[in-house]
Amino acid sequence: MPLLEIGLMHYLILAAAVFSCGVFVMSTKRNAIGILIGIELVLNAVNINFVAFDRYQVVGGCDGQISAVFVIVIAAAEAAVAVAICMNLYKNLNTIDVDRGDSLHG
Amino acid sequence: MDTLLQNFWTPTSTDLFWFSPELALVGTIVMLLVVPIIMGKSARTSGRIALFGTVATIVLTLRVAGVVQTQGISGLAPPAAAGMLILDNLAIYFKIVLMLFMAGIIGLWFIGSAEKERNGPEFFVIFAGSALGMVLMAGTLNLLMMAIAIEMASLPSYAIVGFKKRNRAAAEASLKYVVFGGISAAIMLYGISLLYGIFGTLNFAHIAPRAAVMLHEGQNTLILGFALICTLGGILFKIAAVPFHFWCPDVFEGAKIEVTAWLSVSSKAAAIVLLLRLVDAFSVGAVSEGLSAAIFNNLALGLAIIAAITCTWGNFAAYRQRNIKRLLAYSSIAHAGYMLMACSIFMHPGLLGAGYSIGQSPMGAVLVYIMLYAIMNLGVFAVAAMVIWQTGSEDIDAFNGLGRRSAWLAVPMLFCLVSLVGLPPFAGFIGKYWLLLALGEAGTAYASVQSLGTIYWTLIVIAGTNTLISLFFYFRIIKAMFLTDDGQPAFTPSITGATMANLCGIALLVMGVFYIQQPRDMAEKYATHLFQPAAAMTHTMTTTQDVYNEKPNAADPDFRLTTIDHEQEGAQ
Repeated sequence: MPLLEIGLMHYLILAAAVFSCGVFVMSTKRNAIGILIGIELVLNAVNINFVAFDRYQVVGGCDGQISAVFVIVIAAAEAAVAVAICMNLYKNLNTIDVDRGDSLHG
Repeated sequence: MDTLLQNFWTPTSTDLFWFSPELALVGTIVMLLVVPIIMGKSARTSGRIALFGTVATIVLTLRVAGVVQTQGISGLAPPAAAGMLILDNLAIYFKIVLMLFMAGIIGLWFIGSAEKERNGPEFFVIFAGSALGMVLMAGTLNLLMMAIAIEMASLPSYAIVGFKKRNRAAAEASLKYVVFGGISAAIMLYGISLLYGIFGTLNFAHIAPRAAVMLHEGQNTLILGFALICTLGGILFKIAAVPFHFWCPDVFEGAKIEVTAWLSVSSKAAAIVLLLRLVDAFSVGAVSEGLSAAIFNNLALGLAIIAAITCTWGNFAAYRQRNIKRLLAYSSIAHAGYMLMACSIFMHPGLLGAGYSIGQSPMGAVLVYIMLYAIMNLGVFAVAAMVIWQTGSEDIDAFNGLGRRSAWLAVPMLFCLVSLVGLPPFAGFIGKYWLLLALGEAGTAYASVQSLGTIYWTLIVIAGTNTLISLFFYFRIIKAMFLTDDGQPAFTPSITGATMANLCGIALLVMGVFYIQQPRDMAEKYATHLFQPAAAMTHTMTTTQDVYNEKPNAADPDFRLTTIDHEQEGAQ
């Protein structure tokens, strides 16, 4: 039953789709939180890739799984800092629209 | 198969000794957090702890350096495995330069911000955290460690840029930084995950030779190219190379000036060192697979184009700026371009034709340029900071008549600016001369290898033209200082700040006038043996790859035999 066998390619396509969604969100959203969601999507695509490669492609070891854990930590740390910065921006500008900031240009 | 988990090991005291500079930085962070609880919050105390931490890091690095020089060790790795971290001459060199620069920045902070700072401990925790990330960035070839180190350097940088809470510009700057940084880091991780999938390992020392073979045979080039571009993108973002440079001017303008000074050198230098490692790993990989330099044609062309555009863009955009921080931001982009030019040289003795040898390596030229650039920028930013703190204005007009108002600042500023242009008799000239010399040597050595020779010779022309362009905008500041006087009041700068600026200026002058070769030789020594082939990642520095090796392992019995042989030959 070849249709039911889920292999590496399915995961890679899923990851590529999530990556594309993330890139699309990052490039179209004007809201800082929206962009952060795009970043999270890309990082999740990274995780899918890592874990799928680890399971199907790489013989021995579990570098991919460990990497995925680290990527989750990176994502969490980045979200914490980014949300704090968004709060700070909101306090100063009353908006988190990345286009609205206009004090810096040139 | 090297994996992260199989090689789980308990670090011994020797391992911890090799890691002690980083541990000192970690200890500094802990001290910064604990001391205010016991002794009460004081910005000056925090500054002193941070300064002490940098000094301790330098001392420990020098001690580690002593062991590395005499014994030659492969890094903080379990034996027989390619490590997560590499402790080699390059890492040590970078640590010392970065920590000295950090001490200078802390000095700058003491002059201008210590009085007003209400969150000293937090500021320095973030500051030392970013320094730790940069130190780790410069000492790894493992892609996962690379990503973590870049994040460790980036996250504190985002926070430190937005440290002034009630400031619109700072809030905007940090948002732009975190958004661009987050995007580039995420895309870099995607590239890394693809590289992991293609090669089944995260160690770039293993990846590079196989990637070189792939490039040679032309298989999987699409996916490999995409993965490499994604991965390089994250590094180029830290360098602020042109397609990834948008954050740089805004961040530099929004941040406090000492933070601007810190980011202008440290993040770029760390990323350049990391890029040097990757480029070197590629060269060594190609040599170990017996390939010629021709496979690097496209990679070198890509890096060279980015370098040329970065340099030109930085210099042209700087010309329009009136804000001194923005101007220096574009100046730093341009200088990153000069350094990137030399990073595009895939050079290894094994790649050169038979009978051809080069005098000095391009890595040495980049390393010495990083050091000179740190000195120049420290001087320029020290003066700029004192002018900004005095006048409250970041406009170039604040420099009007500085020659009369405060000659002790104007003269070192002149020295540093002329040095940034790259004119004799200052050290900036010899730094740039060495960069161009490396390009010229590469152009000659690879003259017949596809278009590599043309690429490097073109880069020399572009660098020369850019030096001319940069003359104009640096000269605007010089003109404001000495030729335009609108009668602003004279002022006496802080003695520490003036001393720092003057030391930088005099150092540049002395190195330039006497054409001091020592820094170059030192950098050359540190550039040797950037990276050890993973298969031979045991305990010697004296492998066959180590062509430039000059300090052999005296404790090694084999070495003693060879010296005796040499002596006998000499006697005969």
